[in-house]
Amino acid sequence: MNSFIYHASQGYHENYRQLIWMLAKMDFKLRYQNSILGYVWAILKPLFMFCVLNFVFSSIFNKRYIVDDHYTLGLLVGLMLFNFFSESSNSGMRSLLNKSSLVLKIFIPRWTIIMASTVHSALIFLFNIFVIIAFLVWYRFLPSFTAVLIFMMFSMLIYLLVLSLSLITAPLFVKFRDVAMIWDVALSVLFYASPVFYPLQMLPEWIQRILLLNPVAFIVHFTKESMFNNHYAEFWQFVVFIASNAIFFLFSVWAYKKLIRNVAENL
Amino acid sequence: MKTDTVISVKNLYKTFRIPHKKIDSMRKAFVNGFSRNTHEEFKALDDVSFEVKKGEFLGIIGRNGSGKSTLLKILAGVYSGDSGEININGRISPFLELGIGFNPELSGRDNVYMNATVLGLSKRDIDQRFDSIVDFSEIKRFIDQQVKNYSSGMKSRLAFSVAIHVNRDILLMDEVLAVGDISFEDKCYGVFKEFKKTGKTVILVTHAMDVVDEFCDRVLILDRSRIVNGGNPEQMVKQYSQMFHLVNS
Repeated sequence: MNSFIYHASQGYHENYRQLIWMLAKMDFKLRYQNSILGYVWAILKPLFMFCVLNFVFSSIFNKRYIVDDHYTLGLLVGLMLFNFFSESSNSGMRSLLNKSSLVLKIFIPRWTIIMASTVHSALIFLFNIFVIIAFLVWYRFLPSFTAVLIFMMFSMLIYLLVLSLSLITAPLFVKFRDVAMIWDVALSVLFYASPVFYPLQMLPEWIQRILLLNPVAFIVHFTKESMFNNHYAEFWQFVVFIASNAIFFLFSVWAYKKLIRNVAENL
Repeated sequence: MKTDTVISVKNLYKTFRIPHKKIDSMRKAFVNGFSRNTHEEFKALDDVSFEVKKGEFLGIIGRNGSGKSTLLKILAGVYSGDSGEININGRISPFLELGIGFNPELSGRDNVYMNATVLGLSKRDIDQRFDSIVDFSEIKRFIDQQVKNYSSGMKSRLAFSVAIHVNRDILLMDEVLAVGDISFEDKCYGVFKEFKKTGKTVILVTHAMDVVDEFCDRVLILDRSRIVNGGNPEQMVKQYSQMFHLVNS
């Protein structure tokens, strides 16, 4: 069988950055249209979640661990990070299907659509960072400079992780809707397997080691540790973590190229 | 490829597999693994070859389901062919049907910006051309309303207006003028004449034989996924209507 050769002497689009930015901006506009509170919802949702968890674990299950300001702030930071991961991986997965009118009628590289969705989620995460700052001011807690740097680096790593995941799940989701159900279950497992509302130290050491294999748990744990306990991951742990994220990203690019081939035909 | 050829298509094949049961979940894929995989193969394009020269107006006519739109989609890069070779020399407008990517929830203004960006214009280019785009579409009063409140004619006016302001060398148009009223149609023909003068290449899929007759330099007839004939518009339109009479009688 002969193969199919498509050669265009000049590309379609030379300004991907602008295209991605425009798609992300329109996503942002669409998401909160026809809602009275608008953008405020981007903040309210994780905030409500935080209030519930904070109430449950500082009032109902009190005495189990020493509940103090650090616990509350740690919960907030962990929750915001996890929320960033879950929301953006979910919308990244659905991005191609939601934008089927674009995929079907026009040629733009499909990764731009996936990437726009992750950029949109990152914008919402930026809003949430302001909430974190507001709480830090309220509790009069000043994290160290290193802790802030680590927080920023981990946020970017979550972004990379979500982008890699979405490059795989978005084309898969077009073909198999089960991916959404599987991811739903996986996210709730990941939530309890990440030290968001409990300190990792309360678990036996061998379980700790297993849990830290989960990248979200690693990020949540060491962000909290660096902010409130002045304790940082070992250098080799950092290196292995970043390297495995990079490898996963390369894998996702490879997988994306395989999966994307007939995506328009399957939509 | 000669230098004045902008599109060359060689031995293009495209087959769609139409499963008898749609497999869109893993359970079905799993169950299906045991039963016989039943699907029909539908040849959408069967050994299609042609060339288009710079500045040419090529019309493609054919009955519904003869493969016209599939051909345009492959030319635009939306679908990929099974085998064959396509060479395109010039900037192709990835513009297929009207209303591409128009989001009903967004305003006309936002949609113009989004659509033009998707078509490759920079923000500054759009700012410059925005008034001209809106003027041409004649819907200035409604530009800040949500597109879901537009009539289908208004939507296609706006989309057509965006597409012609993008300024590409090669335009692909699929049933572009089906919904406009007569005055707007006339305006579009004016644009076509302008295109011809500036040496743009246009591939037009349509059922409007008078348009084919008036504007196309050459016409291809597609029938049952194959190119049955190609040549000057008058003859082709004649042959095409004869094909119809045969089928109908």
